[in-house]
Amino acid sequence: MGEKTTISVLEGNNFVVSDLRGDIDASPSEPLGLFAWDTRFLSRWLLTVDGQRPNVLSTDDLDYFYVQFFLVPGTGTIYVDADQSIIRRRAIENGFHEDLTIFNHKDKQVDLKVRIEAASDFADLFEVKDKLTKKGEFYHRIATNRLVLGYRREQFVRETLITASATADIDEHGLSFAVHIEPHGEWTTSLEVVTVLVGFGENQEETTEGQGDPQTRSKMKRSLEKLGEALPRLSSDWPSLQVTYNRSLVDLAALRFYPLTLSGQAMPAAGLPWFMTLFGRDSMIASYQALPFASELAEATLRALAQRQGTRIDDFRDEEPGKIMHEVRFGEMTAFEERPHSPYYGAADVTPFFLILLDEVERWTGNAELVRQLEMEARAALTWIDKYGDRNGDGYVEYERRNKETGLENQCWKDSWNSIQFADGTISRLPRATCEIQGYVYDAKMRCARLAREFWNDPELAARLEKEAAELKRRFNQDYWLEDREFFAIAIDGDGRKVDSLTSNIGHLLWSGIVDEDKAGALVRHLMGPKLYSGWGIRTMAEGEGGYNPIGYHVGAVWPHDNSFIAMGLRRYGYREEAARVAMNMLEAATYFKGRLPEAFAGYRRELTEFPVEYPTACSPQAWASGAPLLLLRAILGLEPIGDNLLVDPAIPTVLGQLELLDIPGRWGRIDAFGRGRVDTSTMGEKLQSSTT
Amino acid sequence: MSDTTQAFFERLAQRGYEPLLHSVSGTFHWDIEDVGSWFVAVKNGSLTVSRDIVGADCVFACSKEDFDRMVMGKQNPTTLFMQGKMKITGNIGLAQMFQRLFPDESLSVGEQG
Repeated sequence: MGEKTTISVLEGNNFVVSDLRGDIDASPSEPLGLFAWDTRFLSRWLLTVDGQRPNVLSTDDLDYFYVQFFLVPGTGTIYVDADQSIIRRRAIENGFHEDLTIFNHKDKQVDLKVRIEAASDFADLFEVKDKLTKKGEFYHRIATNRLVLGYRREQFVRETLITASATADIDEHGLSFAVHIEPHGEWTTSLEVVTVLVGFGENQEETTEGQGDPQTRSKMKRSLEKLGEALPRLSSDWPSLQVTYNRSLVDLAALRFYPLTLSGQAMPAAGLPWFMTLFGRDSMIASYQALPFASELAEATLRALAQRQGTRIDDFRDEEPGKIMHEVRFGEMTAFEERPHSPYYGAADVTPFFLILLDEVERWTGNAELVRQLEMEARAALTWIDKYGDRNGDGYVEYERRNKETGLENQCWKDSWNSIQFADGTISRLPRATCEIQGYVYDAKMRCARLAREFWNDPELAARLEKEAAELKRRFNQDYWLEDREFFAIAIDGDGRKVDSLTSNIGHLLWSGIVDEDKAGALVRHLMGPKLYSGWGIRTMAEGEGGYNPIGYHVGAVWPHDNSFIAMGLRRYGYREEAARVAMNMLEAATYFKGRLPEAFAGYRRELTEFPVEYPTACSPQAWASGAPLLLLRAILGLEPIGDNLLVDPAIPTVLGQLELLDIPGRWGRIDAFGRGRVDTSTMGEKLQSSTT
Repeated sequence: MSDTTQAFFERLAQRGYEPLLHSVSGTFHWDIEDVGSWFVAVKNGSLTVSRDIVGADCVFACSKEDFDRMVMGKQNPTTLFMQGKMKITGNIGLAQMFQRLFPDESLSVGEQG
């Protein structure tokens, strides 16, 4: 873990990434800037005092939406007693608000030239990643105390409005202030930066002059506290757990995204900085993980995804009737159809997952109205599974992109190009039917059978779905089973071959319930054995497979969200102690990241590195990694809704001591769950490893 | 039928019920440049179409050319909106649902009566 060099403040899809001074000096490929709706609205924001950039004393970024930078004017050398000091206070909201204050510590007056350099390249996030050039034209306007930076391509118009409260001399490159400060006095100006998307929903009108920092900040505080009031309270004898729990909740709050199509309802965006948008998979997985804590996220996610459910066949977007979307973007390249994200539908697992989440939300919240409102969408999703998901009529859902240029080749959660490969390291052929998707389909059909019977008044559909699910389970346990290696193939490929690498996908099969009881023991031995288990968690691919690479994104790295689902799968099949071990080791890993798990870390053996090595380009915070500790808590407390009650069946690591989760919200009102740590996870590794070798 | 715009709204009126909008209730006003306005009321998927101008939950404004391209499946409504060529005021969530009515399959392959 290197020293932090950037500071981020964010809310929803609006965020600022700057250096430790608070400056933004983006190169075309650097993700520094003020971003909103997938567009960079500021690529340059540099403070100078008498022509010098200040030096950093310290920064305070305890809140995700608010940061303070403590600076001294630059002198060329650092360790000189400064005659002045500078505080920049920055809060995010529809752009950002910055209070710039300069203190004069001397007993005589001072005159300073203060300047903010400002510029915007209005880059689409895809352009930032791929270093592309713009097709439209840039412009600027200068008004009283306001600089407007603009970009126009046909009727696509984006503007950045920069307004100062103090008198400023404005030119097209920034704002200059002639500052006079009395002895021991101070000078301050507010800087309001507003992002304008002309013709785009709520943001189309110019906002009024800034109302001042404290008001903005208190509004955000209230928003966070509102989330906080409803959250269950945690206590244990292991202090690190509290840190991780708080970090997870704050990060999930920070990553809340408010779709224009849902007034005031929030759902999780996927992650900072590249994925601050609505994703079918990430948003649903994070919502599922957070269900015992903040179920409103899942309800909003289901509604937002239902609104965008596919209704037509569209090769460019990989859209099909009934399909749930993968990713939506709002930048210029998406608008002009240079990228397919309006929305893009290239994911085969999210449609069954949508059905699973719908049922799970009802189990927790008792929200029957939601199940009835989304009946048509759920039926369309079921139809998609059989008609479009199963492309060749073999009874399994397989994927192959329609969009051959910019579509995704792998449409499962392991979506990198090389994730589905044989044990000898060769890549499998398309179309691919990955195993976990079949598990999700089984689970989705079983759950929809319940919904059909209890809410849709359709017992015939219920009976049909149960019959199909049973048949799928029977066939799957034959067709995907690798008799000699005793686990399930990761996929059946386009040539009908079993793709025979040992991977973490088998854990998702336990979670879904598709695994025959007599095969579960063998899967658990693999999951907890030294080839898949690194000591911190279960690797995406086992050591010894041809494609294994401990720093391979989906072929060896350890993913917290993956492990949280596997822990739930272990519980489902009665492997309580193993679930506790997965949970404990991942919670231990979190302590090396101050409670904030990255999306992935390297698959090195624990005894080799002694700390978890963050994946080089990991996204952080990322919603489903932030959600992982929440689902792990559910796994070790054994929380399962049964009718109007919450079943609590703890299997808690001894290290945690007395674990209490109080006021868990749900259809039962509020229930407390607690238990004492009795599972000794420190010695389990040796026991399990010796039994497999 | 000679006119795609008019044909679209006439077919909508004839349809009476649209299952894709079963959970939608709201009113829509289409302001189509140089052609005029249509008013569509949806109640749990039941459709009523008129030319009366009354207050609506959601107002769309675009050119006739762009509208007809959406009807025929040659233009995606979301990207038309993102490009700034279709203005939407009012309830954006409702607007999202109206998109489900594009394209009109019978009009997307040619004009039929």
